[in-house]
Amino acid sequence: MSIELKLCRSNRIYRPNEPLEGKIVTKLPSSISHHGIRLTVNGSVNLQVRGGSAGVIESFYGVVKPIPIVNKSVEVASSGRIASGRTEIPFSMIPKHPQSENFERFYETFHGANISIQYLVTVDILRGYLHKSLSATLEFIIESEKANLPEQPVPPEMVIFYITQDTQRHPLLPELKSGGFRVTGKISTQCSLLDPISGELTVEASAVPIQSIDIHLLRVESIMVGEKIVTENSLIQTTQIADGDVCRSMTLPIYVILPRLLTCPTTFAGPFSIEFKVSIVITFQSDLSKLHPKSDPRTPRLWSAMESVPLELVRTK
Amino acid sequence: MEFRPRNYGAEEEEHAIPRVPADIHPLSAPSSSQHQVDVVDRERNDFLDPLRRPDAIVADSGENLKDEKNSSKAAVKLPGKEWSSFRKFLMQRFSVSKMISISSMPDVLTKSGKVHEKSSTSTHLEELDNPEKFAEEGVKVISRQAYVSRLHELKDEITRAWHADDRVTSLKLSIKVARLLMDTSVLQFYPTLFVLATDVINMLGDLVWERIKRKAEFTEDGVLICSLRENFEASDICFDAKETCNNWFCKISSIRELLPRIYLELAMLPCWRFLLDRPTDSLQRLVMMTRGIADPLASAYCRLYMAYRAQELPPCDRGYLITCINDLEILLMRIPSTKETTDGNFSENGRLLVSLMEPTIEYLMNCLFSYQTRVGNVHLKLGLGRNRSELYGKFPCTSIVLHHLLKELPTELVNSNAVEILQLIECSNDYSFNQYLNFRLLGFRLSEGRSQIDIVNVVVERVIQVVSQYNILEEYLKVVDAYMDIVLQNQMDNYLNIILDGILKRACDEVVAENELTILQSIFVKLLTHFDNLEDIFALKNFFEILDVMHGSSRSIVNMNILNIATRSGCIHDPTIIKVLFEVSRALHDSIDFSNMREDDNQQSACLISRFVNMVAYGPEMERHLTFLVECRGAFGCINELKETLVHSSNCLAIKAMKDGKTHLSFVKSCVAFSEVTIPSIPAHVVQLSLYLETAEVALSGGLVSHSDGLIDSAVNCLQSLDLMDGSQIRNDVDGILSLILKLCSLLVLVPGNFEQGVTYTLKSILSLINSELRITPRMRTRVLCAIVSLSATLSQNKLPYHVNHEEILANDCLFFGDPTYSQELLLLSASILQDLFNYILQEPSQATRGIMALEACNCIASSFHLSHEVVPICSKLMETAKLCLGINDKYLQSTMKFVDEHLPTSSRAVSSIADSQTQEGLVRC
Repeated sequence: MSIELKLCRSNRIYRPNEPLEGKIVTKLPSSISHHGIRLTVNGSVNLQVRGGSAGVIESFYGVVKPIPIVNKSVEVASSGRIASGRTEIPFSMIPKHPQSENFERFYETFHGANISIQYLVTVDILRGYLHKSLSATLEFIIESEKANLPEQPVPPEMVIFYITQDTQRHPLLPELKSGGFRVTGKISTQCSLLDPISGELTVEASAVPIQSIDIHLLRVESIMVGEKIVTENSLIQTTQIADGDVCRSMTLPIYVILPRLLTCPTTFAGPFSIEFKVSIVITFQSDLSKLHPKSDPRTPRLWSAMESVPLELVRTK
Repeated sequence: MEFRPRNYGAEEEEHAIPRVPADIHPLSAPSSSQHQVDVVDRERNDFLDPLRRPDAIVADSGENLKDEKNSSKAAVKLPGKEWSSFRKFLMQRFSVSKMISISSMPDVLTKSGKVHEKSSTSTHLEELDNPEKFAEEGVKVISRQAYVSRLHELKDEITRAWHADDRVTSLKLSIKVARLLMDTSVLQFYPTLFVLATDVINMLGDLVWERIKRKAEFTEDGVLICSLRENFEASDICFDAKETCNNWFCKISSIRELLPRIYLELAMLPCWRFLLDRPTDSLQRLVMMTRGIADPLASAYCRLYMAYRAQELPPCDRGYLITCINDLEILLMRIPSTKETTDGNFSENGRLLVSLMEPTIEYLMNCLFSYQTRVGNVHLKLGLGRNRSELYGKFPCTSIVLHHLLKELPTELVNSNAVEILQLIECSNDYSFNQYLNFRLLGFRLSEGRSQIDIVNVVVERVIQVVSQYNILEEYLKVVDAYMDIVLQNQMDNYLNIILDGILKRACDEVVAENELTILQSIFVKLLTHFDNLEDIFALKNFFEILDVMHGSSRSIVNMNILNIATRSGCIHDPTIIKVLFEVSRALHDSIDFSNMREDDNQQSACLISRFVNMVAYGPEMERHLTFLVECRGAFGCINELKETLVHSSNCLAIKAMKDGKTHLSFVKSCVAFSEVTIPSIPAHVVQLSLYLETAEVALSGGLVSHSDGLIDSAVNCLQSLDLMDGSQIRNDVDGILSLILKLCSLLVLVPGNFEQGVTYTLKSILSLINSELRITPRMRTRVLCAIVSLSATLSQNKLPYHVNHEEILANDCLFFGDPTYSQELLLLSASILQDLFNYILQEPSQATRGIMALEACNCIASSFHLSHEVVPICSKLMETAKLCLGINDKYLQSTMKFVDEHLPTSSRAVSSIADSQTQEGLVRC
């Protein structure tokens, strides 16, 4: 006995004003009767506080109460019977209430460390008190309504960066300090979610051989807990752009495709905010680094230099 | 029983066929210069690099096909083939020792690959030798076989996961495989690793391609949406398929490490076609991304893979290849600075590294010049050429890159830019490649086409100047060899002299090594083919001095070439040339290794020497010629073919002397004596026999009866020793021996009978030989017997059919004219033969042969004897046999019957006219 939800779009991406279309597929050994088939769409922002700038007390609370976005349910079929074997019951439902424009805000789906914005569609086949009701749940992805998006593609905004021994706020190895290095380039600070983070980077000089140059994509999640805002940086993805002691004065491209679900448009809501950041980390060859093979990239090390820039992500058409 | 008298003169007149003079020689043919063309072609082929072969084919097919579709198809198909041969080449060129030590063992390999930690003692020992290396922990050893089989296993695992719809696992495993390529610690193993890993990654790329293509062509339920054309466009692809494709690129993009990310995107490069019509931008980006790989080896091979995968895209601008090559050059120039050893020398490791990178440069150049559509192309090449020249001085190109560039540049371009290229070569003298080899290559490339004389002049002058600084013979030779054709073709005699001087100067002090000999040989062959005239060649400065430096097989080959030219056109008259050639032949002869006489090489040299001896002509100085022959016999004792030539030559000389006049009798005698002495040293008895007969004839013509008697005796002895030989061998040239015996018989007509031994002495010897030898076939026996009967009949005539052209020799018809005992003896001999003849014929197993033999015998008897009552029954018997064997309608039988009939005495003519019943009677009477 199985029940399954299938959406028409294989990528499961919908906009709030678009009908969520699909079918309920049942596979039954014998026919059953039911008191109705009900479809529910539920969306919420789940928040939890741990680590980051959260204090001991806040950590105690752990889960902050989730923020509901939508909870809507319709009856697909009134009471009746479902035949044995495979049965497909089509459905269609618009997640957003047609009248209320500003009542609910459909944030885009996002799976972060502390913040998770999730939309679920659930089907329940009610079978009275004697039988357990059959149900199935499926996550679907919400992207911003097209009508609300800017017409023109966002012009990619770039920032020029210099990384030298003098721009570092953390202690460096003496040979790095004395030998010096200079890495320059530019990188996007505003970027459409459909486009890669782009830019370029040139190692102009470095006395100590380079081990690796990586681009870290970080999320910055802030949650209002009581009077306090708890903010945490966490790593989404690392992309290496230089492996080894690359040639000097050669331009290397920066090209990072933004991962789905793990990124969303930069969001500022009352109780929470989601922002992003990019760090360029240069690791130099050093015997010390071998002693710490797996280190958190966010922690500045003696044998590495870094530069972080904020990244604004936007949804475009 | 008596012999039939014959009138040979009248018979000849009666039967002769009228002769008409012909206008054209039947064997003459229009002269052609094909031979020369052939030689030129061969030389060019020698120089062709094996790797270039397939490209030439591709270029041809591209040129021939007008239809764009077809050409693109060909271009798509051929890279695969070429690639697989290239992979094989990589694996073979860089073979690996059995064990590979890798600095850290990737977990992919450990699953089933056996990794054994080195035993503590051996580790300890090695640690002492190389403490630094072992200070880094975790040096592991894995056998090559284990590594390879593990990769094959992984490939299978990936396929299995894919077909089980677990595509994520497939991708993960493929990424792990691609990660292996990051480890370049075992340099020598890297090409093999590359081949194995790209094989796996390629497969994944193909699987993805197929999957997306299927999504574009069919719905999920397997209903056909549309079938994609070969050259589809992005707009033909449905949303779902594009979405899947995008997803794959997203997944690959999330790989942290740079190198695996590039490799996997390259594997999927063709998939860009589902999304974009002109995916060149991605390729350009990948080229730039590859700059991030600092390891020269990994980076070079990554570019190699890029060039290979880019061929799967629709033909596009090949500019990216130029970027690739330029980037590679920068890496190459960095190697000496990064890998320098403490003592400042360019290390062994660095050299190995360059050799490992060389195939990638070669492949990139190859791609750059082979696949292009021609119009846009020449532009690019020109641009490249100009670009290089502009850089001249400031930014010299690496010599190894220059080498491969020069190799691939089209001939016209090389010819028109020769001077610029020369300058480039001059200023690129770095560790990566030997400069002189670039000079050499330029020479070869220039000789491929015709270039302007002034350009050639400048180039050759410069090159000669440069090489004059070289002290190493091999380098000098290698460069000079390449320019030989140009120098010769343009008649730059002064340069030729300089070159020959240079060679001698460098070669005279040392023992010339094997590889140098090979080049010297090539130079000599070029000289010889060019001049094709011995006087000119021998007049060259230092020719013999340099020739004397050479030894071994190269020397022999040059010698053979000289002889070949010498014997190609007519006789050799000039005594000095003969002397030189004699020395050349002697050197060649001495180099022949007689322990393996069967080899073709030896055969060829022997042939050439014989031909030379045969072609020598001193003209009127015959004494000198004979002396020469004597010298040859002494010098070339080991060549049996030659002895035959010597005997022929000396016999020829004798005949020539006789034609000149009487005065040369003693000379003829010495010639015959020379032949007589030479013949026994020839091992083949058949040859001996024929030479004895020839010499006997010559001796007879010279009036040397006793000599000829002796020679005929020797011939008969020779015949006897033939019989001692193995029977099977006789059977092989039984026809040859038979015809020699027949020839002997015809020679005997001329020979005056010997009173002491009896006139039939020789005949009896042959007869006894034939009778005593059981293994002789019945056919041979009958024919010899018939010949003896005919000979006896002839000798009994009052006038012989032919005589020796020497007035002092009296033939048998004069010596025994009217001597009854003489003809009696002959008749007796013949009669005894007739007794046995019929029985011998019956021994022949084959029916047809038996019939013919019977007819032959019958003809012989009918023409030799009066058909008396003693003879007719024998003829009848023979004809009866023939009839049984061949049938009454056989033409030979018919004509024989007619012939016999004509010669029957009138009284008994009825005998054969009613053949059937008569023969019956004949048999009864017998």
